[in-house]
Parts: sequence; structure tokens; C-alpha cells
Amino acid sequence: MIRMENVTKVYKGEVLALQNASCEVQRGEFVFLVGPSGSGKSTFMRLLNKEEKPDRGRIFVAGKDIGELPSWKVPFLRRNIGCVFQDFKLLPNKTVVQNVAFALEVIGRPRSVIKEKVPAILELVGLSKKMHNFPDELSGGEQQRVSIARAFVNRPLILLADEPTGNLDPNTSLGIMTLLDRINRTGTTVVMATHDRSIVDKMRRRVVELDRGQIVRDQSRGVYE
Amino acid sequence: MSLKLDYVLRETASNFRRNITLTLATVITVTISLTLLGAALLFGDAVDNATVRWKDGVEFIVFVDPEISPELEEDIRRQLADSPEIGGFTYIDKDEAYAEVQDLLGDSPELVEVITPERLPASFRVKPTDTLPERVDELAAAFRTQPGVAKVVTASETIRAIEDLSSGLRQRVIIIAIVLLVAAAVLILNTIRMALFSRRRDIEVMKLVGATNWFIRVPFMFEGLIQGLIGGVIAIPLIWLTNNFFSVINDDVSLELLRGFTVDPSRVWALGFQMVGLGAVVGTVGSGIAVSRFLDT
Repeated sequence: MIRMENVTKVYKGEVLALQNASCEVQRGEFVFLVGPSGSGKSTFMRLLNKEEKPDRGRIFVAGKDIGELPSWKVPFLRRNIGCVFQDFKLLPNKTVVQNVAFALEVIGRPRSVIKEKVPAILELVGLSKKMHNFPDELSGGEQQRVSIARAFVNRPLILLADEPTGNLDPNTSLGIMTLLDRINRTGTTVVMATHDRSIVDKMRRRVVELDRGQIVRDQSRGVYE
Repeated sequence: MSLKLDYVLRETASNFRRNITLTLATVITVTISLTLLGAALLFGDAVDNATVRWKDGVEFIVFVDPEISPELEEDIRRQLADSPEIGGFTYIDKDEAYAEVQDLLGDSPELVEVITPERLPASFRVKPTDTLPERVDELAAAFRTQPGVAKVVTASETIRAIEDLSSGLRQRVIIIAIVLLVAAAVLILNTIRMALFSRRRDIEVMKLVGATNWFIRVPFMFEGLIQGLIGGVIAIPLIWLTNNFFSVINDDVSLELLRGFTVDPSRVWALGFQMVGLGAVVGTVGSGIAVSRFLDT
């Protein structure tokens, strides 16, 4: 599903974010990206949906070399990759249901599809009762659920989660992890960058460790360190 | 790609509300520049029309000395009447000249006060049979040396003066209008940039979930287009007002010189719609540049 071949990314000619990284992720896998801040986790993710371009090396997503993708096709690549962030990136002036519907609306899905899919996904993340609330009326965990619903409503092949539990307490984090696990079981490949040792140790999934831009460990059913 | 009209309209409407002051400034600038441009073009047309008419009528005017004796004046009159080269003439006496001045300077009575009929020259407005400029010049020259003649003005001289004046004026107004139009485009660019900035979170999410650039772009470009269009539409009545001002000149000032200083209504309408089109182009281009710059970075 994802293949990186000797990828190097340097910011502004000096900050080495990724160095000669190679990695392959199979369809349906769940991968933790761990490592200290600045080790290249976020760059790893941003390269996958072409928010950044590698300086060297090639990246394949769903069998396609995304380096060769013309810029007008990038939106179509992104429709196959859901993204979840530490800060949720919800639109404060839209309700829960509007936030999720927005993701479908702006890629031109017909209204009938939106009407059917949005309540279903909110049911899945357990937020049916708060559909018409605004994000600032929700707890952090609930907001993250909305953001996951938005990322997943289009049934992407890959879900990228950049520290999704970074702002949440341990219990809430567990709930989020259960949700991500469920999404993973539907066949969606999940890549999650995290600092959360207890979660990694509990889940026992594949762990890829980055340190100063290099992949220093790749272990199936691994622990944080 | 399916771009839904209601989506575009909704987005555009909310952006309009959000940036009402900037939008207002933009629309006013578009209106002023388009009005100036339209008026300048209209003025050019009016001058063309006026000068064309002039050629058909009076070719030169003989102003007589205000202190001329009645005999000398009679001499000139006889000479004009007897000349086979002169088809006709009108005599404007001091009182008629005074009436004209009163009309002309009606807005400044203090000026009219200092002028008395005695100080104004009477004149003969002459229509020669042969209107070839060279022949008119010759004929006019013959009167210039006549005793009792203060001044002879030929049509060609006057027309040339008007044309020089008008083309200079027209050029300047068009330059100002173009500068203003560029300012309008820059203002539109800025308004749209503000709109983009205030919606940067939405745009970030849109890009993230895979909205195409065109999908993001169209509502903003539509906003610019609407601003240009509104500016152009407001310019139409203002251009009409300019046209009415022409007919005021035409009617009030009994100067034969300016008779025909008017433009066909259909031409005014056509010009108005051209200005609307130009407004639309300026709006679309300005916003297009803003959006492209924003999306590329």
C-alpha cells in the first residue's frame, strides 16, 4: 500500500528531516511511527499525501509513484488518504454534522450520498447525539472522534494519524485507539505517529522508530522502545 | 467535477457579508474608473459629432470692432451679401451676444455684471458656398484686413482647437481611468486575499480532504466577478448622467460651435455594457491572481 525507497527530505537546505528512509507498509496494516520530536515522523506523513516533496527517493502509494503525479491529480490522491491531527482541525463555525459533510461536499459528492453517509459515520464514532453541536461544545475526545469521522467518511485506503491522542487524557486516548483499531479492521491501512508509550505497548502492533531522520527500528508487534 | 451552484452562491454570499467594507471600497473604485473611462470615450464621440456638424454650418465668424461706425458695419454687411462665394450669414448684434454670454456664464452672475452689451463685439456668422478649408481661409483672410474688423475666426481653427483640447483631455482621462482600473484590480485582489485569509482553515481542510483547486478557486473568483459586475452596473447610470450633461451643454449654450455635442442613446448603452464587461474581466482577473497565488504557496 505504501512504499518508500531511499527517501531523503531536507528543509531549507539544512534541516535533515528524513535520511535515506526505506519502508514498506502492506494493505490493512497498523503501523506506529515513534521517535522524539524532530525525528521526521510528521515529514514521513506529509510526504505520503504530497504536502511535501522528497528531495531524493521515490514514494509509492497504492502502487503508484506519487512523484510522477501531476499537481492537478494530487487532490485525487488525497481522497484516498484520510488525515487526523493532534489539533483536530475542525471548523469552529460548523456543527459536527456540517464538519463531516463538508469533507464530502467539497469533493463534489451528491447530497443524497452525504445525507446517507454522514449520520452512519457519526453513529460509528459514537457521536449521533451531538450531531448539531459545535466543536467548542465538545470534549477533546469527542472532537477527535469528529475529526476521525471526517477523515474516514470517504472510506479512504489509508488513514494517517499524527499524534491523535497528543491532547487527550489516557482514558480518552484508549477510546480513540479502539476507534482507530475498528477502522483498521475494515481493511484501512493506518499509520499513526505517536509519543504515547502506553498505547504503543498496549496495542502491540508494528513499530517503526525514527531518530534524526533515519529509520532505526522496524519491528512487528513491537513496543515503544 | 461537479461544482454546485448553490455551494458557490452560498460561499460567495457569506464572503460578501464578511468583508462588506472592503467590498464596498472595491465596488466604488470599479465604478469610478469605469465611469471615467466611459465618460472619456463618450466625450470623444460627442466631440466628433459636434465637429462634424460644425463643418456643415458656419465656417467663419467675423467679429467687428465694438466701436465701429454704422457705415463701416454696413460696408461689411454689403460685402458679405454681394460676395458670390458666400451662401448666407447671420448677424449677431451686441444684445444677442450679451444674451449668449449670459447663458454661458449664467452660473457666475458677478462675471455677467462686469460685462455690458457695449463692450461686446457684434459678429457675422458666415456660411460660404465653398467649404474647402483653403477657400474658407482665403475668404476669411480677405475680411481680416477690412477696416472695422476686430477678428476673424475660421471654423477650421476652432475645430482644430477643440479637437486638440479634447484629445488631450480624453487621453488624460483615459490614463486616469486605466490607473484607477488597475487600482480596482489590485483592490479586488486584496479583498479576495482577505477572504481567503479569513477562510484559510476551511481551505486547509478542503485541500486535506482532496478538493480540487478549481473547486476552492471558483467561489472566490465568482466573488471578484460579482464585485466587478456591480461596479460596472452602477457605472451605467453615471455614464448616462455624463451624457445628459452633454445635452445640457448642447441645449443651454447657444454657441453654434458646440451644437451637435451629443451621442446616440444606443451608443451610450453599448458603452455601458462594454464597461460592465470590462468590470467583469477586471474582477475575475484580480481574484484569479489572488487565488492562484494563495493556493500555490
